[in-house]
Amino acid sequence: MPPRASTAPGSDAPFAAASPAPAYAFYPTPQAMDDGIGAEDYRRALEHSNAPARPLSLYVHLPFCQQACYHCTRRPVTTSDTRLTEAYLTRLDREMVLTSRHLDARREVRSLQWGGGTPTFLTLNQMGDLIDRLDARFRLAGDRDREYLIEIDPREADVFTLRHLEALGFNRLSLEVLDLDPEVQRAINRQQGRGLTEQLLDEADRLGFNSVNLNLILGLPRQTRDSVAATLEQVIAMAPSRLSLFHYQHHPERFPRQRQIRSEDLPAPQEIQGILQAAIAMLDAAGYVHIGHDRFVRGDDRLAKALEAGRERHDLVGLGVMAVSRLEDLHVRNPLRLEDYEAALDRGELPTAVGHRLSLDDRLRSAAIERLMCDLHLDLAELGEAFGLDAEAHLAAPLARLARAESQGLIVRQGPGWRVTPTGRLLIRQLAAAFDAYPAAP
Amino acid sequence: MPDPATGRRRALLNETRCQTCSLSSLCLPLALEVQDMDQFEAIIRRRPPLKKGEALFRQGTHFTSVFAVRSGSLKQVTTEGSGEDQLTNFYLPSELVGLDGIDEERYPGTVVALETTTVCEIPFDRLDALSESLPELRGQLYRSMSKEMRDDRRMMRLLSRKTADQRLATFFTSLSDRFRRRGYSPYSFRLSMSRADIGNYLGLAVETVSRILSRFQSQELVAVSGREVNILDLESLIEVAAQEGCR
Repeated sequence: MPPRASTAPGSDAPFAAASPAPAYAFYPTPQAMDDGIGAEDYRRALEHSNAPARPLSLYVHLPFCQQACYHCTRRPVTTSDTRLTEAYLTRLDREMVLTSRHLDARREVRSLQWGGGTPTFLTLNQMGDLIDRLDARFRLAGDRDREYLIEIDPREADVFTLRHLEALGFNRLSLEVLDLDPEVQRAINRQQGRGLTEQLLDEADRLGFNSVNLNLILGLPRQTRDSVAATLEQVIAMAPSRLSLFHYQHHPERFPRQRQIRSEDLPAPQEIQGILQAAIAMLDAAGYVHIGHDRFVRGDDRLAKALEAGRERHDLVGLGVMAVSRLEDLHVRNPLRLEDYEAALDRGELPTAVGHRLSLDDRLRSAAIERLMCDLHLDLAELGEAFGLDAEAHLAAPLARLARAESQGLIVRQGPGWRVTPTGRLLIRQLAAAFDAYPAAP
Repeated sequence: MPDPATGRRRALLNETRCQTCSLSSLCLPLALEVQDMDQFEAIIRRRPPLKKGEALFRQGTHFTSVFAVRSGSLKQVTTEGSGEDQLTNFYLPSELVGLDGIDEERYPGTVVALETTTVCEIPFDRLDALSESLPELRGQLYRSMSKEMRDDRRMMRLLSRKTADQRLATFFTSLSDRFRRRGYSPYSFRLSMSRADIGNYLGLAVETVSRILSRFQSQELVAVSGREVNILDLESLIEVAAQEGCR
């Protein structure tokens, strides 16, 4: 997954609704990475990962976009020249060769994701070419239970694209819908009619895609409780099997395009909380179940939860600029700039830029965050047992922060554990941030 | 003194007799007794061969005749309001062209020869009149229409539910079947249509068609060289065509 923008909450008001917190899809967040870790550490970690041989996930980052959306935190390369991608695909192939030689060839890729950018910026032939290269370098699973997902910008794909992707072996889609309100779309420079998404959903259904996820973002400029409710009403009517509600991270100092967004257009903290509350109520009523983090599934959530939990135990190998790799005890990230990524590969080196070696403390905090965000409940006795230590004592500082949240009605202490309240559910990231040992640089 | 080409054309025209035509057992006169065949032949209009790319008729023109393909092949292209051309049918020898124009008295699509093609023109008013007195002819006409409806339904199912692999596999198996019915090899035939035509007909990008073709080749289901097709494993191809849902 591409690193998401993140900051730890301000120390004076850790649980204020306005404090932007990272998604905590994984911990530590990329903030914790520094350049003390390099290609050599990654190489060794790849080789060590062969003994436990956890299931393998591949993430391929394709950074190109036709057009820049103002809200984006993914640093896309904006161009309309599809020849640029040829050079990039060559570098990706080199990275695959350099990576796969350290992995046991028998390890099967259970999960593959193409993210961006706009993955369908590639031509149909380039997509076929990329799948062939992946297939030549890794052992791609071919059974029905594999999860091969591609992110789709509905403006940059049609039914022919989906038929091609299905033929390439993709069985999951994630459609970037974001918001359907024309005013919000104008404010983020991304005009996208509802029909585009509907047509793709229909075709995905006809082609038998296992799961289609729609991504929405809350907190975008010009959003109001009513506008989000109107968007959600239309989205729920499309009946996607999954929905993700991401939170807009406004950091114009780090993402220059966000300077196009007027801060007075951003919904006020109170409005955001109202939006969240309304969104969760609508999803509940429509039969969507929260399965942790920002994700919701329609109907039965048990299988989805099991899959989510299973994926946490995968070794993730990221390929491409900005891509993050997460092995059991080492997280690394490739350079953020395309030139740096390509230069490393042209020298014949793995393009590892920064990394972080996970300590026992990191893993303990990661597990705590995971339970909190997926189960809305944290059992310290259970956690301590799993790690063979006194979790209560070990996590004294974060638990003191949780106690402050308790006074605000976000979480309650229950015996050896903590349970998130309905209000706290809306601020779950801030609760998770209590466990973050790596506050962002100001 | 007629040049040899004209002579050959004459000979070809004179050959357009149902009694000697190798396709008569598949075509409209299929059920006719020999003595009735003459009556049928009398209404047929001989036409010079169509050159590759030449239109037999254009979309929207007045419906007068149906046509039986004697040799070669044609495609039907329908232009919708949006201005995009959709390839809606392929016609092979013995198949009838134009039946879909009867009710509106207009041809719903332009029909173009994919190669040098000969057709027998059968003016519909005379066919209609003759089939009053020849119930076998009427029966055969109904059967042809029924078959066309059935083929259309199959095509609709194909376009609405099937994956790219299934579409292309179905295309090959149905072509194979059409050649077999005409007494030709079901395993070895020539495609008169381009990959772009095939893609347009099947609702696939031409890149998708090419990719699946190479996959079918590496799986040794078919061997394709230019437009020559050899079906190596018809059974597996039929299996692919029948698969349901995502793999």
